Parts: sequence; structure tokens; C-alpha cells
Amino acid sequence: MATQLRGMVVALGLLATAPWMMGNGQAQSAKNAPKLDAAELAKVIDREIQARLNEEGLKPSRLSDDGEFLRRVYLDLVGVIPPSEKVIAFLDSSDPNKRAKLIDELLDHPRFGTYLGEMWAGMLLPRESNNRRLNHKPMQTWLADAFKNNKPLDKTVYDLLTATGTQEANGAATYFILNPTADKLTDNVTQMFLGVRLQCAQCHNHPFVAIKQNEYWGMAAFFTKTRLSANPKQAAKQGAQVSVFEGAAPPKGKKKSNLPQGAKIVPARFLQGEQPKLDPGEPYRPVLAKWITSPSNPFFAKAMVNRAWYQLFGRGIVNPVDDMHEGNFPSHPELLKQLTEQFKANGFDLKYLYRAICNSQAYQRTSRPVGDNKGDKEFYSHAAVRGLSPEQLYDSLTAVVGNPGREFSKGPKNNFRKGPASPRDAFLNFFRIEEGANPLEYQSGIPQALRLMNSPQLTGAAALNRILNETKEPAQVLEKLFVATLSRRPTTQETQRYTEYVGRQADLRTGFSDILWAVLNSSEFGLNH
Amino acid sequence: MTPQLSRRDLFKLSAAGILGTSVSGWFNVLASRAAETQARHKSCILLWMDGGPSHKDTFDLRPGTDQGGPFQAIQTSVNGIRISEHFPRFARQMQHAAIIRSMSTGEGAHGRAKYYLHTGYKEGVGGLNYPSLGSIAAMEIGNPQNPLPNYVSIGNRSYGSGFLGPRHQPLNVVSAARGVENLRPLVAQQQFQNRVGLLEELEQSFHRTHEAGTSLSHRTTYQRAVTLMQDRGARAFDLSTEPSASRAAYGTGAFADGCLLARRLIETGVTFVEVTLGGWDTHQNNFNRVRTLSGQVDPAMSALISDLRQRGLLDTTLVIWMGEFGRTPRINNRGAQPGRDHYPRAWSSVLAGGGIRGGQVIGRTDAEAATVAERPVTTLDFMATVCRILGIDHTKMNQTPIGRPVRIVDRGANPITQLA
Repeated sequence: MATQLRGMVVALGLLATAPWMMGNGQAQSAKNAPKLDAAELAKVIDREIQARLNEEGLKPSRLSDDGEFLRRVYLDLVGVIPPSEKVIAFLDSSDPNKRAKLIDELLDHPRFGTYLGEMWAGMLLPRESNNRRLNHKPMQTWLADAFKNNKPLDKTVYDLLTATGTQEANGAATYFILNPTADKLTDNVTQMFLGVRLQCAQCHNHPFVAIKQNEYWGMAAFFTKTRLSANPKQAAKQGAQVSVFEGAAPPKGKKKSNLPQGAKIVPARFLQGEQPKLDPGEPYRPVLAKWITSPSNPFFAKAMVNRAWYQLFGRGIVNPVDDMHEGNFPSHPELLKQLTEQFKANGFDLKYLYRAICNSQAYQRTSRPVGDNKGDKEFYSHAAVRGLSPEQLYDSLTAVVGNPGREFSKGPKNNFRKGPASPRDAFLNFFRIEEGANPLEYQSGIPQALRLMNSPQLTGAAALNRILNETKEPAQVLEKLFVATLSRRPTTQETQRYTEYVGRQADLRTGFSDILWAVLNSSEFGLNH
Repeated sequence: MTPQLSRRDLFKLSAAGILGTSVSGWFNVLASRAAETQARHKSCILLWMDGGPSHKDTFDLRPGTDQGGPFQAIQTSVNGIRISEHFPRFARQMQHAAIIRSMSTGEGAHGRAKYYLHTGYKEGVGGLNYPSLGSIAAMEIGNPQNPLPNYVSIGNRSYGSGFLGPRHQPLNVVSAARGVENLRPLVAQQQFQNRVGLLEELEQSFHRTHEAGTSLSHRTTYQRAVTLMQDRGARAFDLSTEPSASRAAYGTGAFADGCLLARRLIETGVTFVEVTLGGWDTHQNNFNRVRTLSGQVDPAMSALISDLRQRGLLDTTLVIWMGEFGRTPRINNRGAQPGRDHYPRAWSSVLAGGGIRGGQVIGRTDAEAATVAERPVTTLDFMATVCRILGIDHTKMNQTPIGRPVRIVDRGANPITQLA
């Protein structure tokens, strides 16, 4: 309570001057702010976090041990637990720079792009009854390429927002095919790229923010020229391609087909900004895209930094991550400001941002609380324990137990599919997490737990056989099993306890299959910590 | 009483209470739970007619008229109420049921209409994913101590808990005959207990060092799943234990099995069961298909109602028969065996049991069953009506994860009052 109150006072004190609150253009970084490299930015992060911890009277936990860090950074950057040989090599390495080196290695890992691409595609293409059977994959691939090649994020988002053509020719066109109306696009663009939830302003003025209903439809107006060559669902069923293009401007005062019932017809206007002069003969989207991705845009860079932070910590500096407004104070205003400035100064370089955050002590702390810091969720005194995404869980499980089956023979022949395309898709569907759900809460229910405990595909018998073929010495088997699943060696007590357990069972295989089952179903395996 | 808070606290407490107990603690809770007696809340069985059944060929007939189709209307146990000749058994139970003939719901595409009629909110509005009626009922009137989930959906994935979170997700049963997927352990009972013992040790040790909410709920979820696996009530899922005579009354097929399973689950205290019968999207060959489908519904629904009644459960169990919309009053001209198309403007649903005053018809359509002539019932009205019958305050606010208040049923609902 006291903590909360102090936070309020601090935040209120900043009210008059906080640069993150200022209007269009004024939030630009001071010209003389020096450009920092990733290591320097990591120090800034730690300085700001420590200052706030001091203010709160909180003691930080120690740094994570190597296994803990290795597992976390693998899950966060490439979406899967590390392979056994990597665990052994990392644990046994005495290189003092091994953590920084590992971060560099993972940022260049082929999975970095595919992992982030899949995650972003999930956020950009909210599933609805109208689009869930359409083809999401070209969006993932397009994003994966951009992330892998570290294309500057302003450029990626500009290209996304101005995409035209077919999914085949331009994966980014998927965005407009799966979000086919102006209101869906407005919701998603403002939530993703401006960090603002505008949805409620669709129907009424925003309850606590100075966003009027007209501003919603002012943003939506930028999408009123966006057209599809055919109905995506029907075209997909016939195996035809849909093309995205910019059509003629809607006649004045007249509603166009991609606006929903109840839409207000107002001139296009940037959110809390000016009303640009639009040439009716030119497409509208590039005008919006240019405004959004400009370094002077008051929302974009900050929203992207906040999102990256959220992905690595499980909460935003402004939290919820897409609810940035005057009434929702950042936990670390100065830190958010500096991260935003440096992200822009470094050319919207996403890998730079990840590198800086992952090299900070704040990121590398253990998830074990110490003293009285266990209640802390916003000051980063210790790492959060987060649920795994369905993708992280599936890829990590199958990394241990092997792929449960081949791809279904009837793959998507065209862009319309009935039923899941692969065992992985089926799993992701079954474990799907509510959009916007808090990563600090465990999101699976009883059916999912039953599947994990009792599915014959997930026993890991093959993995156990492999280990038992290498050695039959119980302590060694146990070590290999722990390394492959929990990315660490067992403690002395664990070795003693579990070899004893195995000794009491009918045979080695039974005993170890029990232990493997328990480990794969445990919090330590099923959570990111 | 503030049910949301107190139940959640209870849940947390019960989870925390287990923290101190021995390895076999997960198994011991069962005994103590069995001993508890609970005041019985109402329950609900939703018979979901997927695809949108033709009102004009089921519960709102116009025999002998131009577009009326070939079906005859028959007398029911209630004077003056006539329904399709293909519901002869249900016709004898009309005194327990009410037909709403003035549904008028505005959404004519399957996906959007199903979403709307399950949640009371239009898909995508406000950027939220809304909870379905089943999840709302599970949360509001479900027994939180029930080892079985309070919302079970049979034959269909249905609609989930949306922003209410994983605790109120339905347990999906793909096939009633096969029961719950992955409910049985892969190994013998003794070995499974060993495994659960090992798991509990790992969970305790992780939670002792991390003390995180995530690990606590991970553990609680597993504990609930193991409890369900071991629970006697879970035998309800095994239809092979049902006497063959009572089973036969339901007819045969997946829907018959589903209705039987629904009754067994309600008996063990489950709050909400949804059973889906697909195939009602009769753009073509409407009359043959509706005849066949009615022939599946009639024995199953009437056996369900009489079984509930026999067991003294009908007054506390509301049975709903409905789809996502009705079908066009005019017969289309698609080939030799034409059909009827989507029609949300005027259609019928049926309610039975749940303590309602039966033997009624609510609302009325015009001579062609094309527009509502009396007492239009919107989606909001319908949802609020069901809530009222189940004893749920439909004006109550629930919180989204970011703390946004959302009413159980949106403003503007005008529930039907003459059912109570």
C-alpha cells in the first residue's frame, strides 16, 4: 500500500514535465543525447532499475545461475529450451563473457526470426470466425525474414502498413486480407504500433482518456480506400488469390463497404494530431504509415520499446503494454524515455534493443525472491515466473520427446483449410491463450493438464531409450535427463532422492520413466523462470 | 455475498491448504469433498442445433400455406399449442416447456451469430473476447469445490471463457461414447500414484524457492486434473455403466449419447452442459433433413426431460433448445430438393424445466412466420431471460484482466417476465 502510494506521488510529481506524456513532436529526444551502444544501454537500465529499488527500499535478488539464465534467454529469444550439448558446454565454460556471447549467438540463431515472426503474426492477426481458416503463414514468413535480417523496425512497419498485392507475392498483404475492415485495422494498428487501446472509442468516448469517438473514426478513415479483389473466404475455398489494393476514395459523406454499421464519417486525422491534406487521387495508407514510423511520432518508438520489454519481463514499463495513456503511469519513466531515445538513435534496431536488455542485470537476476521482495512485481527485484506460450511449450516438449507424428497428409492445398494442418497446429489450438492474458498468470486448464499427463505421444520413451543406450549408471542417467529437460544438473539431494526412488522400482526404465513424466509436468519445466 | 471474490479466495485457500500436506494430499482431498453437502444451485443443458434450424418446420408451422412445406402440425399436451408432427414425444411434455416464437437477433452469418447467441456480445466489439453462457454460469452458480469442471461441452468445441480466464473454460468431450480425452493414466494406478507423488515433490520444491503465483496456479491446475481422474463422479463420463433400458429411450447416435451424458453430469453436480447436434444448415433438401434431425432430437430431448423429472432435477435444470438463427419463410429454388436460407429476423427457441411456468408460447410471428408480430425477443432479452431463470444477476459487472467492467448481459436487455 505504502509502495503504491509512493509510486503515485512520484508519478504525479512528474505529471507536469514527463516527456512521455507530451503531445505530437515534443517528445523528440534532446539533440545532444549521446548515442549509446548495447552494453552502455544495459548499464543505463541497471542504473534506473536500481534507483527505483532504492526508492522502494527493495533489495534485489542475486544474479541467476548459469542454467537458469541459459534456459530463460533461449526461451525468450528463440522460443525453445536449449539442447543438452549446449547446456553442458555453457555450464562448463569458464569464459567470463559467455553470457554476452550467448546473447549474440541467439540473436543470430535461425530461430530468432521465426520465433518472433510467429509471435508477431499472432498479435497482428486476431483470430475470428471469419479468418480462422484462412492462411496465416505468409505473414509469419514475411515477418520472420524481416526479424532475421534485422530490418529496421520503422521500415518493417512502414512496409507492412502500405502492403498491396497477393499473399503469394507479398506476405504482408495477409494483414489486410485477415483484417478486412477499417475498424479491425484501426483497432490493431493503434494497439500494436501506438500502444493505445482505441477499441472502446469505436462506440463511445474513451472512459478515462481524452480520446473522443471521432478520433477513432478519424484513424479509421485512413483505411477507407483499402480494397480486396474478392471475398477472402470464398476465394480461398476456390483456391484463388486475393489481391489488396487502394481503391477510389469513398464519395463524400457516403459509407464504404469496409466500414461497419454505426461508423462515423469524419476526415482522416492522426491520433491526437493533425488532419493531413489527402490527395484523393493517391493512396491514404502511406500517409498514415509515414506518420506512425517517423522518429517524431509520439507513440511508435515508445510503444515498440515497451513491447520488447514486456516480451522479456512479462510486463511493460507501462502496463498493460497496449494501454499507454496519461492516466497509466510508467513504473520507470526516465528509463522508458532513454530506451526510446536510444532505440531511435540506433535506427530502430530491434536486435540492439534485445541485446541491451538481455545484457542487463535486471534481466539476468534469479527468479528466486530474497528477503521481502517476493511481493514485488513491477520493480524488477527478481525475475518473473511466466507461463510458457503454447509455441514455447510445444517446441520445448518435442525437443525432448521428439515429434509426436508426421504432418497431416492433407496439408493446406490452398488458402482455406479445414481442421488443423499439423500436430503442432492442433496443439497450439488446444493450448491457445486468450489474447492480452497476463503472462504472469498460468493460463492452462484441466483439459490441457490431462493432455500433458496422459497423452501417449508425450511419454518421451524414445528420449529415455536414447539415454539408457548411452549409460545405465543411475546418477548419470538422471543427470542427462535433467540437462535435457530442466537445463541444469540435479543437486546432490536430488541425485540421492531419485536414484533411491529408481532403486525401489521394478527396473531402471520404469523408475526413470516416472521421473521423466514428473519433470515434464512440473512447474520448473512448464514455466519460464 | 460477492460470489466472485469469495469463490476465488476459497479456491486460493484450498490450494494453499494443500501446500502443507503430504505427498498423497492430492488423493485425500477427495474424501473430504465427498462428505460436503452443497445447497443445490440451478443447472442448465443447452441443446445447440448447429447451423440454424428452420422454425417454420419445427415449432412455428404454417401447414397448408404456400411456403409452409409438407409437415403437419400436431396437438400437444397443452391445448392450443401445436408443433411439428416430427416431435410426437416432446409434444406430450409441452406442459413443462415454453416456446419462444419471436426470437429476432440480427446476425445472419454462422460464425458471428453463434458467437452472439453464445455470449450476448457481437464478435470483435470492444476488442474483447467475451465469455459464453456456459462459462458465465460456471463462474456465477457453479460449485467451486466440484472436482468435475462446471462447464462441459459435448460434440463441439463451443465457446470458451473469454476474459474470465482458464478456470471457467469448458471441458470439451468430442464424443460422448468415448468420454473425456486423456482422462485415464498411461500406467497402472499404483505407478500413477508414484508419479503424482514425484510431481508433487517437484512442485513443492519449486514453489518453496520461487513463491510465485504462476507456480501456485500451475500446481492447482494439475491437482484439479488429477482429482478429476480419480473422482468417482468422473464415472459419469462412462456411458457403458448406464442400464440399457434407460439408454434405449434416448435413441441412438452421438446426440442421443450426448443427452444421456448431459443428464449423468447434471446428476453429479455439473452446472452447465452443452450438447451439439449439427446439420441444420439446410439450404438444400430441407424437408428430408429436418425430418431426420427432428427424429434424433425428439426421443433424446424427451427422454432427457422425463429422466430429469423422475430424478427430481427438472425444476432445477433448465433445458434450452436453440440454434444460431431460423430459416427463410420462403423456400429457395436450389434444385430439385430445395431448402431454406439463413434467417435471423424471426425464429423459435424452446425452454423446458428450470422452474419455469410451462405450457406457454411467448411471442408470435405473422401469417408467413416472417416477421415478429408480438413481443420481439432480442439476443440481449434472451440472455437476460436465461440468466433470470438460472438465478444469475444479468446486470452484474465482471472485470476484464485490465480491470475494465463488463456487464454479464449488455445494457438494453428486457427479460421475459411471464416465465417465472
